[in-house]
Amino acid sequence: MNFTFTKEQNEFRQEVRDFLKAEMEAGTFTADIAGLVGGPSHEFSRKMAAKGWIGLTWPKQYGGQERTYVDKMILIEELERVKAPIGYHFGADRQVGPALIEFGSDWQKEFFLPRIVKAEDGISFCLLFSEPNAGSDMAAVATKAVKDGDYYIINGQKVWTSGGHIADYGWMLAKTNFGSSVNRYQACSEFIIDMKSPGITIRPLINMAGEHSFNEVFFDDVKIHKKYLVGQENAGFQQIMAQMDFERGGIERLMQNYPLYEKLKSYVKAMNREGKDIELYYWARDQVAQLEIEYHVGRLLCYYTAWVVDRGKQPSSQAAMAKAYCTQYEQRLNDVATKILGPVSQIKEGVKWSAFDGDLATCYLWAPSYTLQGGSVEVLKNIVALRGLGLPRR
Amino acid sequence: MDFDLNEDTILLKNSAERYLKEKCPSSFVKEIIKEDMGFSKTIWKEIAELGWLGLTYDEKYGGTGSPFFDLFILFEEIGKVLLPSPFFCSAILSGLIINEAGDSNLKDEYLPLIIQGEKIFTIGLLNEQGRYDFDDPDLEAKETQDGGYIMNGTRILVPYAHIADAILVCAKINGSRGGAPTIFKIGSKANGQKKVLLDTLTEEKSYAVIFEDVRLSSDSVIGALGEGATYLNKILPKAIIIKCGEMLGGLQRVVDMTVAYMKERHQFGHPLGSLQVVQHYCADMATYLESTRLITYQAAFLLSEGIPCDKEIAMAKAWCSDSYKKCTWIGHQLHGGIGFTEEHDLHLYYKHAKESELAFGSSWFHRSKVAHVMGI
Repeated sequence: MNFTFTKEQNEFRQEVRDFLKAEMEAGTFTADIAGLVGGPSHEFSRKMAAKGWIGLTWPKQYGGQERTYVDKMILIEELERVKAPIGYHFGADRQVGPALIEFGSDWQKEFFLPRIVKAEDGISFCLLFSEPNAGSDMAAVATKAVKDGDYYIINGQKVWTSGGHIADYGWMLAKTNFGSSVNRYQACSEFIIDMKSPGITIRPLINMAGEHSFNEVFFDDVKIHKKYLVGQENAGFQQIMAQMDFERGGIERLMQNYPLYEKLKSYVKAMNREGKDIELYYWARDQVAQLEIEYHVGRLLCYYTAWVVDRGKQPSSQAAMAKAYCTQYEQRLNDVATKILGPVSQIKEGVKWSAFDGDLATCYLWAPSYTLQGGSVEVLKNIVALRGLGLPRR
Repeated sequence: MDFDLNEDTILLKNSAERYLKEKCPSSFVKEIIKEDMGFSKTIWKEIAELGWLGLTYDEKYGGTGSPFFDLFILFEEIGKVLLPSPFFCSAILSGLIINEAGDSNLKDEYLPLIIQGEKIFTIGLLNEQGRYDFDDPDLEAKETQDGGYIMNGTRILVPYAHIADAILVCAKINGSRGGAPTIFKIGSKANGQKKVLLDTLTEEKSYAVIFEDVRLSSDSVIGALGEGATYLNKILPKAIIIKCGEMLGGLQRVVDMTVAYMKERHQFGHPLGSLQVVQHYCADMATYLESTRLITYQAAFLLSEGIPCDKEIAMAKAWCSDSYKKCTWIGHQLHGGIGFTEEHDLHLYYKHAKESELAFGSSWFHRSKVAHVMGI
């Protein structure tokens, strides 16, 4: 039992902090508070690559560092603290790489992994899972991949594709088994698809925060070579369930609005010094202490999940629990902060009256997405109940 | 980061679990708690022989010098069965005070007796309003000419006062020796004590103790004059985390028994646990359990290692109190009518969750401590 970090881990954390401090002082980025991670900067990703901080846990054979998931959690925690612009490589680093290492062909591993690790040109990924009629029920995907010699022909539509308009590749789940008696959980396959392929149409969706973050993606006779099929044909659903743990177990779910939390703490400290609004101050003090406890609980759940992965176990229940918990914390954070700041919380950036430079309004607008993306809280609770507690299926 | 227990700790945990499972079934707990003694002398003797009462004390007093973390783990097991006994008030609270404050004579005299279970101590920390008042106690010890004291005042919710050989209190001194809070030991034979049994939620034996002109000699003072609050502030973090261990054990049982019942109880032709609304309640309970385990283990580990952890202790008690209580509420909702019967065990934990939530400050108090450490 040990709740402290090793000397090497503390040094690693310091190294990341020093790097980020220097970058911020040089003005290479400013915190992008609302997104899951800071926005894409190919330049910044290249600097991370030069440090060896992409593919940190991956085999050395493919350019990785073979370090632990706890180490990786330290890295992401520090990046998220300042919302560093890691969007270019983040999806590939978090999800695509680990999935390829587990299920990919030798060619796929040799082609994609070193390029991701080096943050080369044209190697950013988006995820093509959800469809209009396949949301929480992912096995209901209807986008078809029909085999035609050495190729698959793709037809259908995906939705909520974050970064689809700027990604070079898509990681797609599509139906490959069409018999009427086929088990729906053995009917899909995973593919990597070049987003510049002929027949792909990308249409922006403007989210309720007024931003173009996700898209609809249409496939009209898009042809992909069979070497882009990942893992077993028709085993896509099972493969994706394993990969989702990587999407869910990360500390970015706890720290999406982290700078806002820092600002809130400073604000309440100042309320105390000024001695105004005493009743509000005492209420705010209690609320912020509760948020602090909840934040630490979330952090422990994330590190625990990383430790479970390091022990070679599948962390399905832990990752689901961590994500369900952490995203609900973030929503409470936004709500509590608006109540403490009061009516100015509504004012977006750009005027002197904006609360926290408008970050508060922005974060509150993004908050409903947190408990949906990557599996809704309800779907995650199902996983905890069925896989974690062994409750019976209906 | 390593979330696994050490081998020695696992050995202790497993043997404690086996022993308590065998000797303290809930039927037994429900029975003895209603008896006049309120606990089992046989078990008391056995746990003393097992070395539990002296787990963290120095070997020279008959202890085993184990890490504090092991004591915490032991209380996690005790919390699962809710063993009624003066372990906490005697070997934890009183023993730690004597160990912290006593001179070597006092320690030599009493610690071995406490560790062997030969003498039982208790402690009265609450005034008549139910407040921990050791910073400015209502109890008054008036100086006498012969160097002794006359004690007046009342303590309530004093555990096992009826069988304790001595009660420790923190009192204000009235006289030339200073007014600051000081720890006193009041033997059970001293005249002028009235003990009133309190009928409480948990029914574990608890008393109001009224001191009326109780004459005490100068050697009734434990430690230095005026240092009572200092000693208590030193030992309370340990007491709080031990309490958290006990709560965690109780919480574990509530989740286990509820999930098991949801698998077995059929309604509408299906197990209740196959309904999503029930599954979501269970997932919430699992999240409370896992998070409570992590945050209390963290505090217990840091405290055991001597790493400063005021904030982590306060976070643990606040989180533990809320989680345990909420899970007993969910447990009752899911059990339905059967959980509301005396025959069922769930109510033991419902009562314990409230008792322990209120012990040593409920969640708002500990949130206030967290805010203080944060500089807010």
